[in-house]
Amino acid sequence: MKIQIVRDVLEANDQLADQIRELSKTHHVTLINIMSSPGSGKTSLLEQVIPVLQSYALRIGVIEGDITTTADAERIARFEIPVSQINTEPFGGDCHLGSEVIMPALQQFDLNGLDLVFIENVGNLVCPAEFDTGANHNFVIISITEGEDKPLKYPLMFRVCNTAIINKIDLQPYLELDVGILEKNIHQIHPDSRILKCSAKSGENIDQVVDHIRKLVNK
Amino acid sequence: MHELQIAQNIIIIVNEELVRRQVRKKVREIALVIGQMRAIIPETLRFSFNIQKKRHTQLEESELLIRENDIVVKCNDCQHQFKIQEPQFYCQKCHSANIEILSGNELYVDSIELAD
Repeated sequence: MKIQIVRDVLEANDQLADQIRELSKTHHVTLINIMSSPGSGKTSLLEQVIPVLQSYALRIGVIEGDITTTADAERIARFEIPVSQINTEPFGGDCHLGSEVIMPALQQFDLNGLDLVFIENVGNLVCPAEFDTGANHNFVIISITEGEDKPLKYPLMFRVCNTAIINKIDLQPYLELDVGILEKNIHQIHPDSRILKCSAKSGENIDQVVDHIRKLVNK
Repeated sequence: MHELQIAQNIIIIVNEELVRRQVRKKVREIALVIGQMRAIIPETLRFSFNIQKKRHTQLEESELLIRENDIVVKCNDCQHQFKIQEPQFYCQKCHSANIEILSGNELYVDSIELAD
C-alpha cells in the first residue's frame, strides 16, 4: 500500500526561519548571515566593519557559530557589543547553523536595542547554504587564496548569497589567481550577485563593504 | 554532512505521518525527491538513514528510494527552456541572465510504501 506524503524535508527549519524574519521585522533589526570556507576571513571582516558601523551609530549584535571554541566570540566581544555564542558539539560539531539554534540565540538579545545582527556561520561552503537561518541577507566571503573555481564547485552557496565579498586582495602580488575569472565565475552562478573586493587585513575597500551594509540596514 | 540531519528529518516526517494516519504496519520504502541543486549525495544520505532507521521499529526494514531531479531552467527573455548540465546559470541561447529555475530545488518526502 502506498501513502502519498509530499512534505518538504526542511519544513521545520524553514518555518522557524520565517518566524525569525517576523521577529526581526517586528523589532526593525536586519539579520545578515555570513558564510565562507574556514579561514576566509569572516571574523576578521567583522572586526573591520563593526567599529566603522558603530561610528554611524548602528547598534550591532553578533551570533557566533564557531565549533567548540569561543575564540571568535572573544575577538568580537572586544567591541563591547552583545555576542551570542552557539557551540556545536565538541569533536564532531555540526556543520551549519539551523534556524533552531539561531532563534534562541536571537532571543538572548534585547532586540529593541539593536539595528543589525550578524550571524557568523560555521566555516563550510556546503551545508550552511542548505539551511535557511532566517537572515534577511546572505553574504559569502571567498578569499583569493581559495582559487577561481570555488563558485563553480559550490553553486548552491553562491546562488543563495546576493552579496559575494572577495577577501585578502592584498595577497594578489603573491598569487597567480585571476580575480576577473573569479568574478566571472560568481556571476555565472548568480548573475545579479553584488561583488565587493577588499582586504580585512589591510583595510582596503572596507568602506565599500560598510556602505553596502548600511544600505541594507537602511538607517 | 548535512545528510545526517536530512536523514533525521525524513524519519521525523514519516513517523509523524504514521501516527497521524494511525498506521501500524512497517514501512517498506520511502520515496524521496531531491533536486540536483541541493548538493546532497545519495550514498551519504542512504548511509545516514540506514544507521538511524534501526532505532525505529516501523522503519527498521525500510529503504530510501531516491529520485533525482535535473536542474531545468527557463529564460524569461527568449522563453528557451533547457536542462543545466554544468554550473552556468544563464541562457544557452541568448545568454540572458534573466532565468528562472523550474526544477532542481526539490527536497521532499513524496510517498511511503507499506509492507504487506
